[in-house]
Amino acid sequence: MKPLLSYQWTTAIIGLVIAIVILFLIRRDILHVKRSLWWIGIAGLIVIMGIFPFQIAQFGALLGVHYPPILILTVGMGFILIKILSMDLERSRQERMLRRLTQKIAMLESLQREAKDVETKGLSE
Amino acid sequence: MKRSTLAVLVPAWNEEVTVADVVSKIRNDCQYDVIVINDASTDQTAERAAAAGATVLNLPINLGAWGATQTGIRFALKKGYREVVTMDADGQHLPAAIPDLLAPIAAGEADMVIGSCTQRGSKARKMAWRFFRGMTGLGIEDLTSGFRAYDLPAMKILASKKATLLEYQDVGVLLLLIHAGLRMQEIKVPMRVRVAGSSKIFSSWFKVAEYLLLTLILCTSHIMKMKSHMHAGNRGAL
Repeated sequence: MKPLLSYQWTTAIIGLVIAIVILFLIRRDILHVKRSLWWIGIAGLIVIMGIFPFQIAQFGALLGVHYPPILILTVGMGFILIKILSMDLERSRQERMLRRLTQKIAMLESLQREAKDVETKGLSE
Repeated sequence: MKRSTLAVLVPAWNEEVTVADVVSKIRNDCQYDVIVINDASTDQTAERAAAAGATVLNLPINLGAWGATQTGIRFALKKGYREVVTMDADGQHLPAAIPDLLAPIAAGEADMVIGSCTQRGSKARKMAWRFFRGMTGLGIEDLTSGFRAYDLPAMKILASKKATLLEYQDVGVLLLLIHAGLRMQEIKVPMRVRVAGSSKIFSSWFKVAEYLLLTLILCTSHIMKMKSHMHAGNRGAL
């Protein structure tokens, strides 16, 4: 069967889709921007691999790896990436909760100190 | 001391050398309530700020300048303040400029005012400002200035969960307010040379690179939204 897209295009599109999804998640404030550096890097790498397959193949040959069309491995890696991304999303959610909790502790402690001061002042008067 | 509707927020991390002086100056010159947010300092910052007359919020974990500032905004809302001014604890910002900062808010012309001093930046910092100004389309000269005034609507937005994951009090905060349809102004203010310590954002080349990359990603993620807001005519509100 004649392929719909060349390997170059498929890989480049995968990289671009990952980059767009990451930017969308940051924009929606679901993914912490600090967690995004890694993912943007991965997306960039995939795009580069797509655009320069010959150089990548040459590099692979240098290391003794000859690229076979292992679809299952590619799909498996895709699922692993999705799983790790979902873990980063959860980590961002927890980070948000931790930050707000930390802020709340600081506020409550200050209010508690204030109430204690008023009480001490009332007793001394 | 009069009970005003304004609180001055001073996020501080290891600023024991300058924080007492900053608090005293605000209290004596302007008679405003001062809230120091001690960002898990390991020195005498909290004790010195309290001794100088500030209300001190002690964060048990270091949250960074923006996390500390947001704590102050949330506390100010809880205590019924209607405006806040944020100032650095290193003595760079002058309390005498606070009335100028508040004037556009009092006149109903802005929800947020940035006190800027573009002369203070290094070449690298100015380049970063120019780059992000061009990228975001925000007409703000001094994007990283921590000397800012916010009114009640701005405080409510910045106290929300949406603003909790921001890293710095700069582009992200501005974009959030712009998207909410709030108006901002920038006014020139004099600033002093830092007495002690160094910039927390620009403390090393690694930090500068991290800041630039994170801000670049943040700007890119918001670019579509910004364009639509500008087409809707919100840019005029700047």
